[in-house]
Amino acid sequence: MSALDRRQFLTRSATLLGAGGLGAFAGVVAEADSHASAPQQSSVEQSRATLAAELAARVPFDGPHQAGILTPGQAQATLVALDSIAPDRSTLIVALRNLSERARSLTQGGTVGAEELDDPPPDSGILGSINAPDQLTVTIAFGASLFDGRYGLHALKPKDLEAMPNFPHDDLDPTRSHGDVLVSVCAGQRDTVVHTVRELMRSVVGHMTPRWSIDGFKSARRGPTPANSPRNLFAFRDGTANPDVEDASLMDELIWIPPAEHSSGEPDWAAGGTYQVVRTIRMHVEFWDRVGMFEQQNMIGRYRVTGAPLGGTNEFEDPRYDLDPAGKRIPLIAHIRLANPRTTQTANQRILRRGYNYERGIDEAGNLDQGLLFVAFNQDIQRQFATIQRRLEEEEMTDYITPVGGGYFFAPPGSRSPGDWVGSGLFV
Amino acid sequence: MLGAIVALAACAIVGSALAPDGSSRARPFAVSRLAPKSAPNPLAGRLSKVYGTNIPASRYGTEVADLEDEGTNLAGEQVSELSPLPPRQFVVPENEYRAYAQRWIAKAVSGASSLRRALVAGNRAAAQLAWATTWSDYLHLGAVYGLFAAQNQAIDGIPGVLPGGSASPHFLGLHRIEMGLWTGASLGSLIGYDKLLQGALQRLHAVVAHAQFTPLEYATRSHEIIEDAQRDLLSGSEVPWSGQGVLGTAAGVAATEEVVHTLEPLLSGRENTEGEVRSELLMLRGLLASIEHRHHGSYPSLAQLGSYEHEQLNGYVAGALSALEQMPGTLETETRRPVAKLPQPSPAERAQERAEERQAEGTS
Repeated sequence: MSALDRRQFLTRSATLLGAGGLGAFAGVVAEADSHASAPQQSSVEQSRATLAAELAARVPFDGPHQAGILTPGQAQATLVALDSIAPDRSTLIVALRNLSERARSLTQGGTVGAEELDDPPPDSGILGSINAPDQLTVTIAFGASLFDGRYGLHALKPKDLEAMPNFPHDDLDPTRSHGDVLVSVCAGQRDTVVHTVRELMRSVVGHMTPRWSIDGFKSARRGPTPANSPRNLFAFRDGTANPDVEDASLMDELIWIPPAEHSSGEPDWAAGGTYQVVRTIRMHVEFWDRVGMFEQQNMIGRYRVTGAPLGGTNEFEDPRYDLDPAGKRIPLIAHIRLANPRTTQTANQRILRRGYNYERGIDEAGNLDQGLLFVAFNQDIQRQFATIQRRLEEEEMTDYITPVGGGYFFAPPGSRSPGDWVGSGLFV
Repeated sequence: MLGAIVALAACAIVGSALAPDGSSRARPFAVSRLAPKSAPNPLAGRLSKVYGTNIPASRYGTEVADLEDEGTNLAGEQVSELSPLPPRQFVVPENEYRAYAQRWIAKAVSGASSLRRALVAGNRAAAQLAWATTWSDYLHLGAVYGLFAAQNQAIDGIPGVLPGGSASPHFLGLHRIEMGLWTGASLGSLIGYDKLLQGALQRLHAVVAHAQFTPLEYATRSHEIIEDAQRDLLSGSEVPWSGQGVLGTAAGVAATEEVVHTLEPLLSGRENTEGEVRSELLMLRGLLASIEHRHHGSYPSLAQLGSYEHEQLNGYVAGALSALEQMPGTLETETRRPVAKLPQPSPAERAQERAEERQAEGTS
């Protein structure tokens, strides 16, 4: 979110929430902004003002597409896969509507209500008396299993939606894979995510039950410029070659399901949605740390420090495969070369990656259980993600990673207005 | 000639370090004076330049050597500090390894026969014992992991990679039999899998005889075998039914010892890799022997392993790997050539890049 967006939000926040709570945050920021160049402002005040601005930043929930897809990646995330236990179609509708309504209220922020003293509070209250929006997005997606015989949705299943298959190097754990509904919760602060997950679970209790979940975090942007991509846990920059989300026609070409009149073969209700691919990829970091720098860089095709393609100096430099057809500079099986060959023929295979690092403690052998929570959005799984994944079967990095979970999901279009909800198009 | 000079110089340095420094304070081992970064080069008085270079000796002894210790040459390129080995020197070690592997294949084939006899006799305890022996024999091959992927799937394949998992009809081999033996399946239902296993093992003789691997692959196996054991066996992920992760790890350690043994002539004198590897493997082998002894002469399952034993094993395995990781670099056979540079962008392209960066900075 740009600085301008944040200021616009603060104005709205102050109006919406009054003098207390976020209004007070806004006041802090406004004061900080007006003295931005004042040398007497302490670093403590500056960081307080920055935090206040970040907590106040709000992402709209309603719109033609769901938030949390093109939205710049927030620092923290949790993905929760749910299985529906709703006994019938109408109960499923109630659950999905509740999910959207609660997600909308949390993403937009507000005061925490109170009910009678004898009643359980309607909100856990772990964020205090104000739920600051904190750039929160909640993205709701459906797995293939939701379209089985239980709710009469079979005919409406998006055409590419299936249970994610085992690719050759996968070792998928069924208890960490698939699910009827996937909820992606992303925000600036960990406590915002934790609170949101807790509240969303309350909103569907008795109708949906958690199947698996995983927490993710982004590495801080440590420069050298704000434009440089953050690093994954193999220490290489991740997301360098992502398509430009500001380019609306490119997003129509690569991400969004087109309107039905384009004969995409997708059901009408899916227009404006997108396929979400999630892969929990364990990175064997101890193994990786035993690999020489030369080999590490050759496996990726980039310099570890700068992120520049081998032979280059700038992270965003074109690797110029045309000048290196034999792979002498960047090996033919380097990750970046297989993932995105940068040819005319492969241009429409590009995907939008929105991944996170994850960390789950240690395993039984004393090794760190860490890796990449790969999240990608694309218009056509077979044309895009699956094609790339098949190319990547050749890469040497497969020795250092094991995909252990995840799934294929479909993120429907956004809810159109506060009375609407994500997935309503399935039930018209 | 150069060797003699270096030897003399080494004696001079060590001698000066160990000699009393004449001060009133007692400093019997003045090790900190051995190689201070900015000390004048003690060879400078006798050497004017370093053989094979035009670099003054006084400079070489300080700046250049420091750079080389950090893996950088005078041009700022990252280089190895060891001269590469000729690849032909790996022929003998690899042949020795093939012969070793053939012996263990023969043992595994024999083990599969014992397994069949136990299945036919309906003796589950004997079948479990024969399974463990056969599996351990197979894991003694260690260093040929990955060189016969299709065969390995038929012998030691895990269900997770198959569509349908353990219910897949393609789930065969040792782990299919393991699942049946430890989950109460009738022994008769396992007959047939043993035959397929034995056939796959027998075919390995020919595969191993013709297996080709590069020196780097062979040197890298020396730490990959135990890495695999750590990841798949000590974690329990690939032995969910028998829990025989310690047994499998011990077999991997034996395979590693064999690889290191075949490479010892090449390691000699190259850094201190040989000494560190020997020491760490010895400690790991000692720990495994003590665990075996404490559990009455056989390796415990992971469930039977005490928590401190498990911690020790995790730690000693990690220690061995920290030594073994040096093997590929120590046995390098290639000089790394500098990477060709990409053409520099034109001034217009540079201006465009800067504009894009500024824009990104403004919107991040």
